[in-house]
Amino acid sequence: MKIKCELIVERDGKPIYRGESKSFLKNFGIVLAGMLKNNGDGSTGKTVSGIIDMSGVSKSAVVEQYVSDTYAKYMRIMGMNAGDNDDSYGILVGSGSDPVSYNDYKLSSKINHGTSPGQLDYEPHVIASSYSDTSSYVELYRTFINKTSSDIIVREVGIAAWTYSEVISGIDAKYLVVRDVLPAPVKVKPLGSLTVRYRVSLSL
Amino acid sequence: MLKGTIEILVKDENGKIVKYGRHEMHSFLNNFLKFLEAFMRSNGTGSVTITDTGGTGRTVYGTHRDILFHAQMGVLAPDNDDTYGIIVGSGTTPVNLNQYALVSKISHGTGSGQLDYNPITVDDYNVDTSVSPPVYRLRFVRSFANASGATVTINEVGIVVRYRCNNDLRFLVARDVLPTSYTVPAGGSATVAVTVEVELG
Repeated sequence: MKIKCELIVERDGKPIYRGESKSFLKNFGIVLAGMLKNNGDGSTGKTVSGIIDMSGVSKSAVVEQYVSDTYAKYMRIMGMNAGDNDDSYGILVGSGSDPVSYNDYKLSSKINHGTSPGQLDYEPHVIASSYSDTSSYVELYRTFINKTSSDIIVREVGIAAWTYSEVISGIDAKYLVVRDVLPAPVKVKPLGSLTVRYRVSLSL
Repeated sequence: MLKGTIEILVKDENGKIVKYGRHEMHSFLNNFLKFLEAFMRSNGTGSVTITDTGGTGRTVYGTHRDILFHAQMGVLAPDNDDTYGIIVGSGTTPVNLNQYALVSKISHGTGSGQLDYNPITVDDYNVDTSVSPPVYRLRFVRSFANASGATVTINEVGIVVRYRCNNDLRFLVARDVLPTSYTVPAGGSATVAVTVEVELG
């Protein structure tokens, strides 16, 4: 048994694609490995290097920090649920169709948030989960609305994560962890919507 | 997306190999998925409740905003520490995804029914492109010495991660009941290797 990740795409509320997401990226492996191969004692600041942020720059992610004063400080390793209108991380969509490589660090051609030609309105993320003795899942999804007057074609989707430390200098990076090219382009008509769901599941 | 294997090598008191097995990992648990959910919820103060190895529901944050210690999912337990990392047990109860502890953990020590837990080592193999699809591979190894004076039998293997957000907590994220028992002779040892692979695009 392995942990599976499904990609589900809906247009105007109707499913149009459902299949296994096979496109986790090296960035994800680096950060997961960085967390696991730590002793977790929390006594120092620890980072894992080698991730590539979405601008193509080599960065580090925080996996542990220690706050030596009395003021609470933020630490985020792999944040995913960006808020409304935020296209800098979380689920992103694009118009590119370059084949996936595990070294990808950005979408081929990201569609930006907005209401101008060629843009989509990025809604906030929603997270749903269900846990039982034999079958469980957690799902991250986001809807994109076409508020322009022209069709928008989506060919690629992905998830970017955010690592940030308020203690360790220089730790602030958005990095792509998943990228999938859709088997067929999806046309989003004016006032139409596209919902992209990533569902991670376990079963016995 | 994510899969793993467990290897077990048992040696007698003379260092002779008496049994070896390699098994597919079957049982990442709900706790693992809940950590992933915590990451998904890490904008703002989102959190999930995860049951620790003592059976208590704990709040786990994807984003920490607190003083002192912050760490997620560490596995590299030191010598003699049986509270996290790779742990072993004698239980044979089938897995269910809500389990939060081994059914019958073999504790660290040299007393009857105990094993001496050595520190965990890790090999980070990074990306392996010799397989299809390519994988990101990580291999953890821990050995257990039997100084109890009698045989000790291993039937289950678990992975416990350490989480710190001021509290110092332990969560079982994987449990496998082995398809065959591994009996460690008095004076012998067992070495358990867990290989985790992320399937890449």
